[in-house]
Amino acid sequence: MIKVIDVCKSFGNLQVLKNVNLTVAPGEVVVIIGPSGSGKSTLLRCMNYLEKIDSGKIYIDGQLIGKKEVNGKLVEAPAKEVYKMRENIGMVFQRFNLFPHMTVLNNLMEAPVLVRRMDKGAARKLALDLLKKVGLEEKANAYPAHLSGGQQQRVAIARALAMEPKIMLFDEPTSALDPELVGEVLSVMKELAREGMTMVVVTHEMGFAREVADRVVFMDEGRILEEGTPQQIFTNPQHPRTREFLAKIL
Amino acid sequence: MSGSSGFVWDWAFTIKMLPLLIKGAGMTVLIAACAISLGTCIGLVIALIKVVRNPILNYLGGLYTWVFRGIPLLVQLFIIYYALPGATGINLDPFPAAVLGIGMCGGAYIGEIIRAGIQSIDKGQMEAALSLGMSYSQAMRRIIIPQTYRRLIPPMGNEFITLLKDTSLVSVITMVELLRTAQIYASSHFKPFEMYITAGLIYLLLTTFFTVTFGKLENKLAQSE
Ligand SMILES: Nc1ncnc2c1ncn2[C@@H]1O[C@H](COP(=O)(O)OP(=O)(O)OP(=O)(O)O)[C@@H](O)[C@H]1O
Ligand SMILES: [Mg+2]
Repeated sequence: MIKVIDVCKSFGNLQVLKNVNLTVAPGEVVVIIGPSGSGKSTLLRCMNYLEKIDSGKIYIDGQLIGKKEVNGKLVEAPAKEVYKMRENIGMVFQRFNLFPHMTVLNNLMEAPVLVRRMDKGAARKLALDLLKKVGLEEKANAYPAHLSGGQQQRVAIARALAMEPKIMLFDEPTSALDPELVGEVLSVMKELAREGMTMVVVTHEMGFAREVADRVVFMDEGRILEEGTPQQIFTNPQHPRTREFLAKIL
Repeated sequence: MSGSSGFVWDWAFTIKMLPLLIKGAGMTVLIAACAISLGTCIGLVIALIKVVRNPILNYLGGLYTWVFRGIPLLVQLFIIYYALPGATGINLDPFPAAVLGIGMCGGAYIGEIIRAGIQSIDKGQMEAALSLGMSYSQAMRRIIIPQTYRRLIPPMGNEFITLLKDTSLVSVITMVELLRTAQIYASSHFKPFEMYITAGLIYLLLTTFFTVTFGKLENKLAQSE
């Protein structure tokens, strides 16, 4: 479903991703862990081309992202094609990024109506179904500012799902939340995983990783140092850096 | 002590001249309205070419602001009305010259106001919009720009007031508006006090209209959030 091949990415002189390779199968839940600044967010943002990559390739559902092969050479894809590709990839941000000038319902309806030209009635029905799924039906007409952090993040997940993506990317979805609000967001994510959504999750919630992840990936200084089942990574880490990191966090 | 110069306000003269001053004020309002419309259109374009990801357009936007904000409006008016005809053969009537001069200058300021408004919106908003499959222009139109409205109201109100007051400069290119009307009758009847004070009060009335309208607008938008 996702194939990251030899991806490199620098910001100025700082090389943030160094020949990263990662494959995610359909329906798989991959959790990325690693110290701050190791390039986790950057990798996630490259997957939907919010960041351009310097070299390497990323395939989503068999389609090359952000690039195009012309006469055997890789060139930047036209903006239009990048927009189209992003429709299949939902993203959830640490700071929610709900649209503050719209009601919850309109936050969910906006992209389906604008981008997919879905008819308003159908979009509304889809939005209400999704709000029900994340347990926030009664907040349909509220503005984001009037919701708790946990509620906002659940709306943000529903908003991404409204585009009916094939893949969901989560960048520390619970890091900005008060501890007592983390659970409600994680349980929505667990439900999504159970339904077979392909998910890539950057998180420090090791409990979630243990319970839900099919695979855990450890990143450090722009490289994937180790990957394996949660069992392998948490009980028998091979790389000294992984051990060091886990010792600090657990 | 009182009336050491023997001055008495001439009410009869003031009242007689009032219709003429109001006619002049009509012209002031017309110039201001046209210049504000033009300035807002130019400002929108300038702001947009400054925020798109295109270095050439960014540069052109910067150039425009640099020139039209850096040269005094009075000099710009002189150039448009007196220098352009000789150099290019473009001969503008006073009215279009006035609107063009104030509008182009105002556009530079309004462009900066709108650009600052757009750039004050959290970057996460654009990213969220793009991640949902929106194009850059859809995201601008539906997500970013609507969020700037409330922030734009106070500085835009200020700018509109400035532009309205700037119309008093166009008397130098033979435009007969409020100030020029007052000037004509002040000197022909030796009544500078009555004429200029009355003109000043009419300007105050007009600018107060903007202050009140923009204040109401701000309150209204504040409620909807
Ligand atoms: N737009 C940018 N411009 C310059 N440097 C950046 C940019 N974005 C990220 N970086 C740098 O790249 C490195 C990797 O950042 P990234 O956000 O991917 O790390 P992370 O693993 O997500 O860390 P965290 O756990 O703190 O979120 C960091 O050193 C960061 O400062
Ligand atoms: Mg990060």
